[in-house]
Amino acid sequence: MLPEEEEEEGNGKTRFFSINDNVDLLAEILGRLDGRSLAVAACVCSLWSAVSRRESVWEAVCLRHASYGNGAAAAATVTSTRSVVAALGGYRRLYRLCIGPALDRLAAGGGGRVPPEASSARHLSLSLSLSLFSIDCYERLGVGVGVGVGVGVGAAAAAAGGRQQKPASLLFLSKPVDVS
Amino acid sequence: MKREHEDAGMGSDDPVAMGPETAKGKMVPVTRTGDEMECGVDELLAALGYKVRASDMADVAQKLEQLEVAMSSDDASHLPQIASDTVHYDPSDLYAWLDSMLSELNAPPCTQLPPPIAAASRGNKPSAAAAPPRASALHDFKPVVSPTAASVGRVVCDTDPQSEKILSPRDPKRMRTCSSSSSSSSAKEATSSLKLATAALPVVVVDTQETGIRLVHALLASAEAVQQENFKAADALLKQISVLAASQSGPMRKVAGYFAEALARRIYRHSPLPQADRVALNHLHSHFYESAPYLKFAHFTANQAILEAFTSFRQVHVIDFGLKQGMQWPALLQALALRPGGPPSFRLTGIGPPQPDNSDELQEVGWKLSMLAESIGIDFHFRGFVASSLADLEPQMLLEPEGKRGDRDGVEEAVAVNSVMELHQLLARPGAVEKVLGTVRALRPRIVTVVEEEANHNGRTFVERFTEALHYYSSMFDSLENGGDTEADGDLEEQQQHRAMADAYLGRQICNVVASEGTDRTERHETLGRWRGRMAQAGFEPVHLGSNAFKQASMLLALYAGGDGFRVEEADGCLTLGWHTRPLIATSAWRAAAAAAL
Repeated sequence: MLPEEEEEEGNGKTRFFSINDNVDLLAEILGRLDGRSLAVAACVCSLWSAVSRRESVWEAVCLRHASYGNGAAAAATVTSTRSVVAALGGYRRLYRLCIGPALDRLAAGGGGRVPPEASSARHLSLSLSLSLFSIDCYERLGVGVGVGVGVGVGAAAAAAGGRQQKPASLLFLSKPVDVS
Repeated sequence: MKREHEDAGMGSDDPVAMGPETAKGKMVPVTRTGDEMECGVDELLAALGYKVRASDMADVAQKLEQLEVAMSSDDASHLPQIASDTVHYDPSDLYAWLDSMLSELNAPPCTQLPPPIAAASRGNKPSAAAAPPRASALHDFKPVVSPTAASVGRVVCDTDPQSEKILSPRDPKRMRTCSSSSSSSSAKEATSSLKLATAALPVVVVDTQETGIRLVHALLASAEAVQQENFKAADALLKQISVLAASQSGPMRKVAGYFAEALARRIYRHSPLPQADRVALNHLHSHFYESAPYLKFAHFTANQAILEAFTSFRQVHVIDFGLKQGMQWPALLQALALRPGGPPSFRLTGIGPPQPDNSDELQEVGWKLSMLAESIGIDFHFRGFVASSLADLEPQMLLEPEGKRGDRDGVEEAVAVNSVMELHQLLARPGAVEKVLGTVRALRPRIVTVVEEEANHNGRTFVERFTEALHYYSSMFDSLENGGDTEADGDLEEQQQHRAMADAYLGRQICNVVASEGTDRTERHETLGRWRGRMAQAGFEPVHLGSNAFKQASMLLALYAGGDGFRVEEADGCLTLGWHTRPLIATSAWRAAAAAAL
């Protein structure tokens, strides 16, 4: 992840190619990391931190765990997933709360009953993660934190929420190390 | 009857001292080879062929006396008490063996000294027969060869030609079994064969601690006393129970505590737990949701079935018989939003009990769900119904009259009915469940998902219900204790709080099963088989839950640390989730029979 340097021959002058000048390229590269490494990368400098917070980067990380196949149908699914996930809280949050811990748990469990390598297993794990994520988002609604809703409605929801409970449906996945 | 299992010896290279099992004698494991006997065996009895350790003589004598009294009084109900200290071995061929043993129970017991041993072993076996071992709710159990098996078989035959035929051919089998399979696998085989075998009195399997056995024994005895209306004895036993329970730890202690409390309520006719506190009940329910995978499993599998039934419909309607916090529906909404072809227009009818403090909980839940649905782009409508009992509902209340859906006329609406642990409460009133199923049928649903506890807590006699409940909740508490350990330290207190609430939730159920009667006793769980019968009678046919549901459920369970104990199993198209070998909750899906696919 060090800035690449290329020497250009010819004039005898050296030209440096800094990855920091090409944030899109940087985003592409970071998108190929796993979650933990991406989080580490976010600590490098403020630019990298900003880039690694992009939704597209995390989307790539998350979707690597789904096999949608190829073709137009796949593209459409990705688009619709994007809007849904954005509404529920974003890919970064999805990874942090669901996919990351799930992968850790599955790896720790020695692959569990379903080998994580199988692509169908990955697809299911994405849909399972999305289900859990939606439940978590729903619980947060109850606590009064509106998701993509106007302030007025949010306040009304908080007032109507009554007894406030910390959203806890994902506690069973929680681990001491927080990837964010 | 209780069973005490000791480790039969870690390896076959470790010949452990054996002694035969005498009537209710000490249990000692048998050597793998069976050849070596410990010296110190009483010579006089050995001459007769009985191998009793000299150190055990007094104990053996006392227990023989007990047995003689029991057998001569010919009161079968005493057998369980005496069998408490008995040790049994479970060879994998137990079913056939016990079957033959059972037929001998009718043979009159002899009263001479050697025959009582034979009779005792016969007596033991029916007890054993009547006691299918469950994989330990609380502890792993490893089979120990009943010493009768290896060494004494031929001896017992001397006095009783009948048992001779039975026992000697069994001997080699037991010896073989002993040496061959590993403890747990043969135990599990035995478990499964016995589960098939008898539906008689179940047994509680506990660990080697004597207080644990005594505790269970005391609980069962107390229940029997209550059934016989012998309240003084029951009360005395309760005091014993509380003392013994204090010495236990973990799930056993909690279970014993709750059952003792429930028994006390029953004995003293305390007023039943106030039903009115719905807010607290919902609170407890949501904690239970979070601390154990059962409800999540139920929701996910039901959602999968509903999702599959809704494919290609543009308009869908879900009727939820017990909306509570609505935790099932966000996942379905998300799945519908992402299905190929786009989301349908979604209507949810939630049914809930009346609230004591006039707060409109159903509306709140509906509001939250609609906010969620709006954010993910689903056209969502909600209607809440307050009904103190499902039997009060009529089909026309739930179905939208044709005229209202102006712009959507002509588009067919798929209806799904979802009931998570609601139907069993209807069994308290006769005729209610049939009425409700008739109502459901009148709605012409595309799919009906039913999730119920997999237990038989609706038996005719109190003792039957009590023992069943003891098993079920022991497994349940054990799974809560051991199935959810995470390494999260910051959240440990919260986890503990959740668990405490979940325990309280189950405690209320226990209280209801044990202490209430009549229409108050709403926790009338029944097994999947019986629900299948009811649904079939009401005109429904089963829909197989697909492999997708199974995989999702397995994956969900894999996410629970300590998920090794949980088992997802498929039974004839229904999915059950259990702890070790005991299924605890079952999901099934149904549709109206003989109706063309709507």
